[in-house]
Amino acid sequence: MQSPALPVPEAPSLVPPALRGILPLLIAIPTLALFHWSLTGSDFATYLLSVVGVNIILAVSLNIVNGMTGQFSIGHAGFMAVGAYIAGYTSLQLKEVALSFLPVSASDQVLFMLALLVGGVAAALCGFLVGLPSLRLRGDYLAIVTLGFGEIIRVFVQNTDAFGRALGLSGIPQYSSPGMVFFWVFLVVLAARRLAGSSHGRSLWAIREDEVAAEAMGVDTTGYKVRSFVFSSFFAGIAGGLFAHFVPIINPGSFTFVRSMEIVVMVVLGGLGSTTGAVVAAIFLTLLPEGMRSLFGALGTEGSLAQRVDQIRMPIYGLLLVVLMLSRPQGLFGTKEIWDVLPRWLPRKRRGLA
Amino acid sequence: MSANAQPVAPASPDTKSPPALLRADGVSIQFGGLKALTDFHLSIQQGDLLGLIGPNGAGKSTAFNVLTGVYQPSQGQVLVRDTKVNGRKPHQINLLGVARTFQNIRLFRALTALDNVKVACRAQTALHQSRLGLGAKLVNAGHNYADWWKALLLTPSFQREERRLTAQAEHLLEVMGLSHRRDEEARNLPYGEQRRLEIARALGSQPRVLLLDEPAAGMNTREKADLMVLIRKLRDDFKLGVLVIEHDMKLVMGICEQITVLDHGETIARGAPAEVRSDRKVIEAYLGDSYLESHGGAA
Repeated sequence: MQSPALPVPEAPSLVPPALRGILPLLIAIPTLALFHWSLTGSDFATYLLSVVGVNIILAVSLNIVNGMTGQFSIGHAGFMAVGAYIAGYTSLQLKEVALSFLPVSASDQVLFMLALLVGGVAAALCGFLVGLPSLRLRGDYLAIVTLGFGEIIRVFVQNTDAFGRALGLSGIPQYSSPGMVFFWVFLVVLAARRLAGSSHGRSLWAIREDEVAAEAMGVDTTGYKVRSFVFSSFFAGIAGGLFAHFVPIINPGSFTFVRSMEIVVMVVLGGLGSTTGAVVAAIFLTLLPEGMRSLFGALGTEGSLAQRVDQIRMPIYGLLLVVLMLSRPQGLFGTKEIWDVLPRWLPRKRRGLA
Repeated sequence: MSANAQPVAPASPDTKSPPALLRADGVSIQFGGLKALTDFHLSIQQGDLLGLIGPNGAGKSTAFNVLTGVYQPSQGQVLVRDTKVNGRKPHQINLLGVARTFQNIRLFRALTALDNVKVACRAQTALHQSRLGLGAKLVNAGHNYADWWKALLLTPSFQREERRLTAQAEHLLEVMGLSHRRDEEARNLPYGEQRRLEIARALGSQPRVLLLDEPAAGMNTREKADLMVLIRKLRDDFKLGVLVIEHDMKLVMGICEQITVLDHGETIARGAPAEVRSDRKVIEAYLGDSYLESHGGAA
């Protein structure tokens, strides 16, 4: 280093540095537990809440690749499928197992967590294998490869006896709960936020902005792209694992290209690069079909329309995107985050150091 | 100094001075049938301020791209402190201490000025990837993933590192007179400041050699004069070797101690500004031989 070594300024924070890392968890876990125990709504509400949560995880994780790093992946459902099948399969195998030193429900949750992590790691591994060759190149290759990957996984599962072929896997223990789903939602949002604010995140932004310049400034672009892709795949796998543990049956039909596009639409709608946007868009687009269903039902238009919401959903997404691209091409939130916009409660932004 | 009076003389490799910070030895590059660069020699020592000039399409930017690893030379070699870097990727060459700016500004437009510099600062703290072995690669990858976890867990060491980067980047902004733009997005900066921010960013990667690709393009006369002073100051303060590509003759002649002139990929002259200016071949390349005929030789 040629320039004189500068003194490292002290942390201007109310919270001791050692605690800052886990503080959000200390707040979130009790809150989520409270949320979990207070939730006694209908099965449908629980189910819907879980679906919303899973979609948030998918959108936020995809945003790390498509938004922050500026690469275009359109096979997120493939990674979700890997997570769902591997985690589901693990749980099926461990169904009869119980940890003797724990009460049954706790033991189940521990095994569930284990299955989730196995699924997540499997998806991350797939992400690594898919990403390493395709992310060396610049441009649209990733889109093509991920598209292919998603289809390969679907076809593979469809033809593998262990995964129940086209019938799918059923009988996976229903360990999941909205509490667990939102615990992971919390984790992925926290991770995305911390990543965005770290030097890693800045390197990813740099790649998105100008790959040639990033490379010239010493950023190992391939390495960063692969890492972000692995990271994103891991959470897609987790989302799949969660999904597998609250739906009665998982089959290849749940992980089609249309599913991948749904997630892409969420990310684009929310704003490429905005975690907040991904969350909001995921909630909105998940509830939209339900809203339409009840709307059409209430309007009393031909009952068939309410039943056909699933079919007319995609054209509506398409229309939404067209309108959005015309009126607000950067997406609802652009690259802004709610925590940047909110009035600053805490003296978080450091000013006048050095 | 390796300033060589003879035109088109290769930078002699057997000088007693320490190994050149950056050296090109007989580098040629071909795109299909087009010879973009032929037998290019260059040697940059600490404290050098060299110029690279030539008409449009002479191969100046190609030379830059070869030196920084964007293109691979078809022949010859590029050395950083006697380490051959042919085949290394641009980021690896950057980590060895070679930083550049771009002819058409390539800032990270949506990032703030501070973050632009921090990106470059950060890369240098990563393990040096100067070796290409598989073992080293694995160690590096493991280290990178571990680093990633540190960021996610917001460990105290990570926070300290972030503060250090911020302080370093703020210092560089101050040096380049951009402190007041700290939190502004790069794309909103006026043109001249964008050019300076690009230099600040290049300095963030703690280079020993700085390659400036037309730093004065689009600047007015006063800004150019300021820039000349600044480049000299940077060379001295940061103990750099500097290579400047420039169209503006006044700027090049004003600050460079040695100038290499390219035309059609070939080095047609090399020497002190005064010599180059009166070189017959240079005048021919810039003004055409009809000029020479009508004026009866070198002016």
